[in-house]
Amino acid sequence: MENESISKELATALNSFKAKSDQVPEGYFDQFEQELMRQIQTEKQQPKQATILSMFANQKKYLVAASLLFAIATGYLFYNDTEQKANTMAKVDLIDIKTLPDELIEAYVNNNELIAEVEWNSAIENAGSSISTNNN
Amino acid sequence: MTDQALITQFQNGDAKEHAFTQLLKRHREPVFFQIKKMVLEHADADDIAQAVWIKVWNKLDGFKQESAFSTWLFRVAYNETLNFIAQKKRIQAQTKQNQLDQDATQPMTHHSIKESDIQIKLERAIAELPEKQRFVFMLRYFDAFDYEKIASITGTTVGGAKANYHQAVKKMTELLHNA
Repeated sequence: MENESISKELATALNSFKAKSDQVPEGYFDQFEQELMRQIQTEKQQPKQATILSMFANQKKYLVAASLLFAIATGYLFYNDTEQKANTMAKVDLIDIKTLPDELIEAYVNNNELIAEVEWNSAIENAGSSISTNNN
Repeated sequence: MTDQALITQFQNGDAKEHAFTQLLKRHREPVFFQIKKMVLEHADADDIAQAVWIKVWNKLDGFKQESAFSTWLFRVAYNETLNFIAQKKRIQAQTKQNQLDQDATQPMTHHSIKESDIQIKLERAIAELPEKQRFVFMLRYFDAFDYEKIASITGTTVGGAKANYHQAVKKMTELLHNA
């Protein structure tokens, strides 16, 4: 029997402990019941919490997961779209430069004469210096 | 009328308060005394017992009667008691320094002159037991609950409950002799 492991001294102390624990003021349980029912009545009269809150509280982890998924998907789509646009723009620039007709280039140079002049001058100078270097 | 019938009556909404008070009258004493053995103070036990029965009132509609009502009730009591003890420990930790200051200025008051030395030692030993061991021991030793029921209440296995009981006996014996 498991209680054989309990010494006589411990058993005596436990009996005293039980006797002490079982003491309650007279009429305590009747008062307890009255107080409890009063609390329940008060609780019943209070407006109930909106159930929608507890409903969401139960599904908190799903909401967090959905939010994360949404954020990742949005980020991915935005990143892809930006990259695609950048590629398209770069392509358009490349095609435009190669296929530009001479007249257009001339018109551009005429319209931006000063800049073009500077560029031509520096090109001539560079060419001249390379010729003189070669002659030397 | 059986517990099951009263619960069905409560869940159907027929004379809800009557069914509840019948259940209360049947079970209030063993639950209260179990709680009191855990926390020792009458006022604390009263607070916990009130919280337990309010929870029972609020949750009884959802009780599926897969276990006996008393098992479910003691499980609610067990959880409420653990919550209370944890909360009290937090508050005590916060006010520990204040208490130490007070103790230093006030003379030591003995718990009770009437209480024997061995009883004081035992209460200290009980207070030092881990909550689960304490709960298992009380249910087994004083209320002679079977280990299956104790395991179901405390959320452990039968083997775990048996181990908790024997560890509690061992620790109390040691603490009683060493104190």
